[in-house]
Amino acid sequence: MIAQGKTNVAARYGMSIDVDRCNGCGACMVACAAENNVPPAANGATERTGLTWIRVYRVDNGGEGNERRSAFVPMLCQHCGKDAPCVAVCPQQAVDVDPATGIVGQMPERCLGCRYCMAACPYHARSFNWSDPAWPAGMEKTLNPDVAPRMRGVVEKCNLCQGRLHTAKAKAAMAGRVEIDPADYVPACVEACPTRAIHFGNLNDAASEVAQESHRKGSFRMLEALHTDPKIYYQSKKDWVRETASAPRPGKENARG
Amino acid sequence: MAGAVLTPAPWRLITDTALWSENWPGVPRPARGEIRARFTTCALCPAGCAVRARCVGEQPVLLTGVSGGLCPFGLSAHHLPYHPARLRKGPVAEATAAVAGKAGQGIAVLDLNPGRTASWSYRRAMGAMKGAYLTPQAEPFAYDLSAARTVLSIGTPLLDGWGTPSKVNAARPNFRLIQAEAMESRTAMLAEQWIPIAPGSESAFAKSIPQLEAARELSLVLGEGPEIAEINQRIGAFGKTVFGRSEAVVPETWTREAAAVTAFADVPDHSIAVLLIDETPATSYIPWHRIEQKLVRDNPVVVTFAAHRGGYARHAQFALPTAMYPEVLDDVAPAADAIRPVFRLAAPLVATPTGVVSLAEFVGTLSGVPVANVLRERADAIHHAGQGTLHTYADRQRTAVKELTADAFWKGLNEGGEWTWEDAKPRAAVMNRAEVRPVEPVESPADLPLVAISEPHYAGLVSPLLTKLYQESNLLLAPNRIALHPKDARDAGVVDGGRAMLQTRLGKCAVEVTVDAAVPAGAVQVGSAPGIQDVCGHAARAKVVSV
Amino acid sequence: MVRLTGKLADGQFITRGVSRCSTERFLLWLAPWVALLVFGVYCAGLCLVKGLNQTNMDNRFVFGLWIFVDLTIIALGAGAFFTGFLLYILKFKELSAVINSAVIIGLVCYSGAMAALMVDVGQPLRCWFTFWYPNVHSMLTEVTFCISCYLAVLAIEYLPVVLKNRRLKEIPSFLVFEFELHKLIYVLAGVGTFLSFFHQGSLGGLFGVLRGRPFAFREGLMVWPSTFFLFILSAAAVGPSFLILTTWLVEKITHKRLVKDQVFQLLARISGILLCVYVLAKAVDTLVWLNRTSPGLGFEAAQYYDWKPFGTWILFAEIVLFGLLPALILITPGLRARRGWLIPATALACCGVALNRFVQTVQTQALPTLSFDRFLSYSPSWQEVGTFAGVLAYGVLVYSFSFRYSQVFPEERELKAARVMRLEIPEEELVEAGR
Repeated sequence: MIAQGKTNVAARYGMSIDVDRCNGCGACMVACAAENNVPPAANGATERTGLTWIRVYRVDNGGEGNERRSAFVPMLCQHCGKDAPCVAVCPQQAVDVDPATGIVGQMPERCLGCRYCMAACPYHARSFNWSDPAWPAGMEKTLNPDVAPRMRGVVEKCNLCQGRLHTAKAKAAMAGRVEIDPADYVPACVEACPTRAIHFGNLNDAASEVAQESHRKGSFRMLEALHTDPKIYYQSKKDWVRETASAPRPGKENARG
Repeated sequence: MAGAVLTPAPWRLITDTALWSENWPGVPRPARGEIRARFTTCALCPAGCAVRARCVGEQPVLLTGVSGGLCPFGLSAHHLPYHPARLRKGPVAEATAAVAGKAGQGIAVLDLNPGRTASWSYRRAMGAMKGAYLTPQAEPFAYDLSAARTVLSIGTPLLDGWGTPSKVNAARPNFRLIQAEAMESRTAMLAEQWIPIAPGSESAFAKSIPQLEAARELSLVLGEGPEIAEINQRIGAFGKTVFGRSEAVVPETWTREAAAVTAFADVPDHSIAVLLIDETPATSYIPWHRIEQKLVRDNPVVVTFAAHRGGYARHAQFALPTAMYPEVLDDVAPAADAIRPVFRLAAPLVATPTGVVSLAEFVGTLSGVPVANVLRERADAIHHAGQGTLHTYADRQRTAVKELTADAFWKGLNEGGEWTWEDAKPRAAVMNRAEVRPVEPVESPADLPLVAISEPHYAGLVSPLLTKLYQESNLLLAPNRIALHPKDARDAGVVDGGRAMLQTRLGKCAVEVTVDAAVPAGAVQVGSAPGIQDVCGHAARAKVVSV
Repeated sequence: MVRLTGKLADGQFITRGVSRCSTERFLLWLAPWVALLVFGVYCAGLCLVKGLNQTNMDNRFVFGLWIFVDLTIIALGAGAFFTGFLLYILKFKELSAVINSAVIIGLVCYSGAMAALMVDVGQPLRCWFTFWYPNVHSMLTEVTFCISCYLAVLAIEYLPVVLKNRRLKEIPSFLVFEFELHKLIYVLAGVGTFLSFFHQGSLGGLFGVLRGRPFAFREGLMVWPSTFFLFILSAAAVGPSFLILTTWLVEKITHKRLVKDQVFQLLARISGILLCVYVLAKAVDTLVWLNRTSPGLGFEAAQYYDWKPFGTWILFAEIVLFGLLPALILITPGLRARRGWLIPATALACCGVALNRFVQTVQTQALPTLSFDRFLSYSPSWQEVGTFAGVLAYGVLVYSFSFRYSQVFPEERELKAARVMRLEIPEEELVEAGR
């Protein structure tokens, strides 16, 4: 049994991603897939049918030739506030926002696979299991025992490595503590980032790195005008990068997708 | 009976039927067991990052970096033993007989990841057999970014896996980076300045460096090509940011026995009768036609020691399976930014598969040079020299070698540790006055309108999970892909995601196409698959034909 | 045995006083539809067994052909509830001429939509979870509850149609059952009306509540976005039109007069008036959305129409070409009296509702929300098209059997008799009598 650590003050876990530091190596995507037992691409899967809980997009300023400048923006579930667009739409309560952590959770074992939540999400943070999950022979030995693999026909997405949160809680309970040690709970993508572009922590803890970074100049959130209150903050010193956070620019199509 | 309906039991049963679909055929259940951490060094490239492996029982399930993150390839290295393209069997006896049959004729070892202890074994064996020890290019320099203030990089993937990531990241805030490159690469994106140059014009650009505005401030120039060393010498980088490559101490007998290091390009044409290629931890790939050029015309024997079927195994007479990281004990060659000697061991995390052979043992047997215990011998030699410290990953302690016994030093290295000699005096860089090879004349662009830009990294065998980057997103250009500017794609009549033929003077190769406005018009970015590299190197003229 | 007496047995099931084609011709008519149904079942089977990778849907186009078809056929099937409402609650007695047809169409549309939905979801075996762990805030919960309940109502309403079969009527207990059922019909119509009003609305709300998709999002009353009401209105408006269209089609195919012209006129008038109200409401809603709702969410509405091929023409087509134009034709007595105007107008209205559902579902998903995202396109795979074709074939088959063996149009016998009589009276006299 995993002991539940009781916390008096609700946490609000979030991230601060420094776009200016991201070199687009993709370590976060691979680490995430390894941690969360996301299978390799099924035969014939494409960028639109794959399973990626975090996805690094290449964005550009829309310039031509030498005027063109690019940046990498990691997109994951933005862990919107308590009125997350995906929560209300699920017909069978498979999506929820945990009031104790602020994590938007998705229960694959409850999921019908109607994909209504995917249509509702403006960040395209979810993936659907279009095929049976398959690993090359023997590779299933490398699966993480803390996360259950999902079956075909359900939706999955980032849950801020909830398995790690449970482990941290269990560790705290074993030590007789109520609060978890922040060092014990770091999502896989944050841990994997070679350039330390992603910071993670409790936004309700004013002393935490993320809470401070979220108030820093140059900090922004994606599609803020939708009032989804995401907990993933981005930052960049470049104006054009910050501008990508708002509504689409007509006609500026990004071929990289 | 009716009463049972009123209990929670039937309702609970109904709910639990959902669990059945959790165990749908094909959804594996992760194995459980005691969870513990083991430490090793990543041997996929010379960066040699310290790795913490989370293991369930003996099985690693997650790799993480000890000092900072890891690259996506290193993160997923524990999947490599199960890759479907792994070479698992090979004609060992036949290959041995064929090589023995050519005894006395020109034998050579091509080492695609030089600088390891195994490289010394090859050199010793070749020394004993009067053979040649070949490396892709003799790279004599090591670079110190921490001492640099302004760095000009000509297409070097400086921030994208060039040196040891933790070192580069630590030095990064202190230097200004100017990246000269045809495409806005990952490094160019994060550089302070990006100078777009015409595809394939690196050499011309290098010659124009003295005329650059920033030329006076430059403290280091990085790039490939014979001019770079000369420029570095001219700007006074030698002794400040450019040094000679250092290696950890080796037993004295080895240096006496060893054959000289020869750059592959310097080997006379048609002189090799038996070529043994160590391909397992390859960090670069030499196109097959260049290898063929060095082989004797009459019935040469090529044996590749490879972990997968995708590389030279396609061309060589014999492809023998080898073990690779993290299945086998090996050491890691020093990185490009290691100016002082280092020694790290990649301790195996999983059992070595059966049926594999190692080139070191193969040539050891051929030549009679004992190679069975070389890593221990070298560790003992380092310990005997008594310099430097051992940094153990698990406890992050630094211990002076003098304070350790030889066994403790060996044990420390095997359990995840790095020996460094911090206060060693860096070796001075020596200008290699090798002949400057003439640049190949520019071919007429009439029939081959595009210039190739190659991917900086050669990824030999990668985890199946890398589909996240290659297939399920297009973050990295997949090895079998090319990328074209929309205009060139239109001209060639190819579409995004479609198939095409990449054609050069050397031949053609089937590829998949990405249409990407980030690729400059008139250029084609090519993936690192050996099949593509066989026909199309960097700056080669090419054309794309729809199929 | 069955083979030998087949023809005879078949004839015995046909309602007295009406003529039906020969068994051979009927079988010939059935054959292609049965083949299509088999193909559809095969396609659906592929999707169920191999997974939804058989479709061309993806993580961005999460709903495809099926959601569009489901929404459209449920809107068209609205004739069932709305006719029931008019007949039993508002006492438009003339409509009893088409109520059976409306019920069959409703049943076919709803059960077909349910079947397609079962293939569409990733874990069909968990469909009952919606009843077990319902999220009352979800529009899809409303839809699921209402559609499944209403489907049950329709099935019950369909029973009398089946029981009117000549041979089945001979069984006394069936007669009693039908009699008892008939007493319930007002309750059923009431419940059905409520349920279907509600779920037509919920289907509208399905996309209207998506706050994260400003193209679809609408403000509204209480918990319901404006599309909730617009969907009810458009379904109610188009239901009668579709009934006219199908009845006309059946008349053409069977070469029979089935319904009196005044029923057509009444349906057309109702459809026209409601369509006028709908067009007005839709125009107001569009203006509010363009000028307030969408900009309020940070999305200038004009940009939606920058993505080709969905230019502003789609708005024009939806509101004017497929809305206002058929509405005007249908409310003009002189025009709707002529088949050459009536039928195209009803067809336009049906196209309008289909286009509206297409815009709501497909265009919403094609449009990017993130600035660095692309406009997406999607084309259904043959498995998806096949499954849908199977639903279509199923509908045709159910209708064909019902038409052949039950008394779908109560006026058919009367009209046939009148026609026989009329043939005996010279044309001039008939004209004279008409005056």
